[in-house]
Amino acid sequence: MNNVTQIVQKVRQAPWRVQRQWIGLFLLALVLMAMVAGIYLNVTVGATLAGREIQALRNEITSNQRINADSETQLARLTSVEAMQKRAEAMAFQPASLDDITYVAVAGYVAQSAVDLSTPGSSKPAAPVILPEYTESWFDYFMDQQASSASAGAQP
Amino acid sequence: MKRHPHAWRYLSVAFLLAGLGIAVLVQIVRIQNSPAVAGVINLGERVWKDFYPPRGEIYNRHGNLLAGNKTVYEIGLDLTDNPDMPTVMLALQMSGIDLNEVNYRISQAPVNAQYIILDDFVSTDKAEQLMTLQKAAYADPTGKNLDAIYFKAHYARSYPENDLASNVLGFVTEDNHGYLGIEEKYDNILAGIPVRLLVPADPRRATEYPTIPPGQTIILTIDREIQSAIENILDQALATTGASSGTIVVMDPRTGEILAMSSTPRLNLNNYQSITTVFPGETPFNRAISQAYEPGSVAKILTMAGALDSGAVQPDTVFFDEGSILVGGFRIVNWNGGAWGYQDMTGCLANSLNVCLAWVSSVKMESDSFYSYMQRFGLGHATGIDLAQETSGRLKLPGDADWRPVELGTNAFGQGVSVTPIQMVMAASALANDGKMVYPHVLYGQIQDGKQSNTRTQIVGTPISANTAHTLSEMLANGLETESSAALVPGYRIAGKTGTAQIPLPGGGYDQKDINATFIGWGPVDDPRFIVYVWLEKPQSNRAASVVAAPIFKKVVEELVVLMDVPPDAIRLQKNGQ
Repeated sequence: MNNVTQIVQKVRQAPWRVQRQWIGLFLLALVLMAMVAGIYLNVTVGATLAGREIQALRNEITSNQRINADSETQLARLTSVEAMQKRAEAMAFQPASLDDITYVAVAGYVAQSAVDLSTPGSSKPAAPVILPEYTESWFDYFMDQQASSASAGAQP
Repeated sequence: MKRHPHAWRYLSVAFLLAGLGIAVLVQIVRIQNSPAVAGVINLGERVWKDFYPPRGEIYNRHGNLLAGNKTVYEIGLDLTDNPDMPTVMLALQMSGIDLNEVNYRISQAPVNAQYIILDDFVSTDKAEQLMTLQKAAYADPTGKNLDAIYFKAHYARSYPENDLASNVLGFVTEDNHGYLGIEEKYDNILAGIPVRLLVPADPRRATEYPTIPPGQTIILTIDREIQSAIENILDQALATTGASSGTIVVMDPRTGEILAMSSTPRLNLNNYQSITTVFPGETPFNRAISQAYEPGSVAKILTMAGALDSGAVQPDTVFFDEGSILVGGFRIVNWNGGAWGYQDMTGCLANSLNVCLAWVSSVKMESDSFYSYMQRFGLGHATGIDLAQETSGRLKLPGDADWRPVELGTNAFGQGVSVTPIQMVMAASALANDGKMVYPHVLYGQIQDGKQSNTRTQIVGTPISANTAHTLSEMLANGLETESSAALVPGYRIAGKTGTAQIPLPGGGYDQKDINATFIGWGPVDDPRFIVYVWLEKPQSNRAASVVAAPIFKKVVEELVVLMDVPPDAIRLQKNGQ
């Protein structure tokens, strides 16, 4: 009882103590808000930069696809039937006729077959990989963590 | 009240921290609402964006590009940027851009337009020249810059082989739509449709951008080398015979794959705008599928096939040719008006006797059987080949309002019935393929998700037995050898038939001057690898197909056996016998 009386008396003698406490609480709240805002700003900036990079890469992919298409068409033009015939004639070649050909049996010879333009080893286009950390909620994250730690500790 | 002596220090620190905290918060709010970045990172904002997926490429069966894509530019002018028009026009002129087109587009622009498209489908060379000028003008101290000019790159169709296989390929217009041929038939899978979509402006939502699928790449059954060879042969044939047009089709009778198909005229597909001058009036783009005509005596092979298969005649059945026969009240005579006496069926085919074939159809087969076989061979119906604008021809049947009894006789030798070359090729595939008639097609395969799926061989019917097919092939081969045909190729046994047909006049009757000359053949007879169809319209050098069409068939086969690695029969049979 005496202790309480003493505290009340001290507060009455120095009211700035209370003021200081309020200021301290206000500052604490302000600092917390600033910390949260700072983290938010940092994450936002990071995400924006990543997004910008994705946009730039997309543009680069589009540009490269166009360059590829141009190159393919140019190559096809350079190797067209007409161009190849002109080059062959310039090199003193002439088309083979029936009389020019001698057939020789070659064991294991496989005649030219039609082309297969399948992309080797691909069955589907690669899907963009986005780590779950970027898409899942906090709740999902904690549930995943809990599940993985539980499974790590489980005995077979 | 006694104040703590150092309270001001605490207050100073407190105000400092409060100031810092408030400054951070204000900064965040300011950035979030800044008009400078609002267009970039505003959460809800979306902007229009154009997506130009590439159109699928077209390759031939050996992987040579027949139709690809190239980059072209749309050149625009931002009027809100106060462009200096004389400088802009001078730069456009210096870059080789058509000022008439530019002036026209400017005159058509709305009064309050903020952006004008000055020209589109500008070549890369010209656009790059303009870009260079723009860069140079950027540093110009007079301020007459070209900053208001904008470049938007997109795709345009390009055909590296120019007019090669143009009748098969068709073309693509500036609105990215395919017209005629393969480009029209497979437009829905080739076209990567350009789209304009609202996409999030916020870079943090970049992953939400839509993926616009590109057009599918396709592979044709066409062999580029064979195609080039037959086009050269056809051009030479028109020059030497004076024919008004020509058509050659080469098909693998085992699979129905069209190895080459050409008709005249041909179009440089990179300059498709000239189509109206190259194909005036009603000129068909591809006569092989779009022009039906009375084929004449080549149709005798179908009549004889039906007669043999039904048992109406045998190869050694003898017919006494008196020079004419009465069918439906009309007198039918031979091509030379002569009487050929006793003939077996091989002789009837070898000598192309109209009277004999009219006797076979009208007397030995009769109406029901004859027309049943013609229908089984697909006459009167489109083949369904995967090329745009196929026509079906006409086979009049008993019961049709315009069918007359004499046509039972004339149809037997290919008059009074109209077919397209591709119909005859499909029908003849039954003769060359053990009685099995195959679906003719141009699509070899298509690429989807990196995997190629190929078109399967489709048997559309078995109009005759294998035995009949072999028998008739032998009869035709013997016939060619007996008459020492100009179609014969040394070392290779070939089956085939000429057709010299009169041309019907629009008002009735037949043209007494011009004819259609046709030859259809396949080989090697014991293991056919190709069917070749040659048609010359109105040749002037001679009125007999055996003189004008048969030598062209021979030239085609001489090229084919080299390009397809088909050794002479003796070597092939010797090798197979080992």
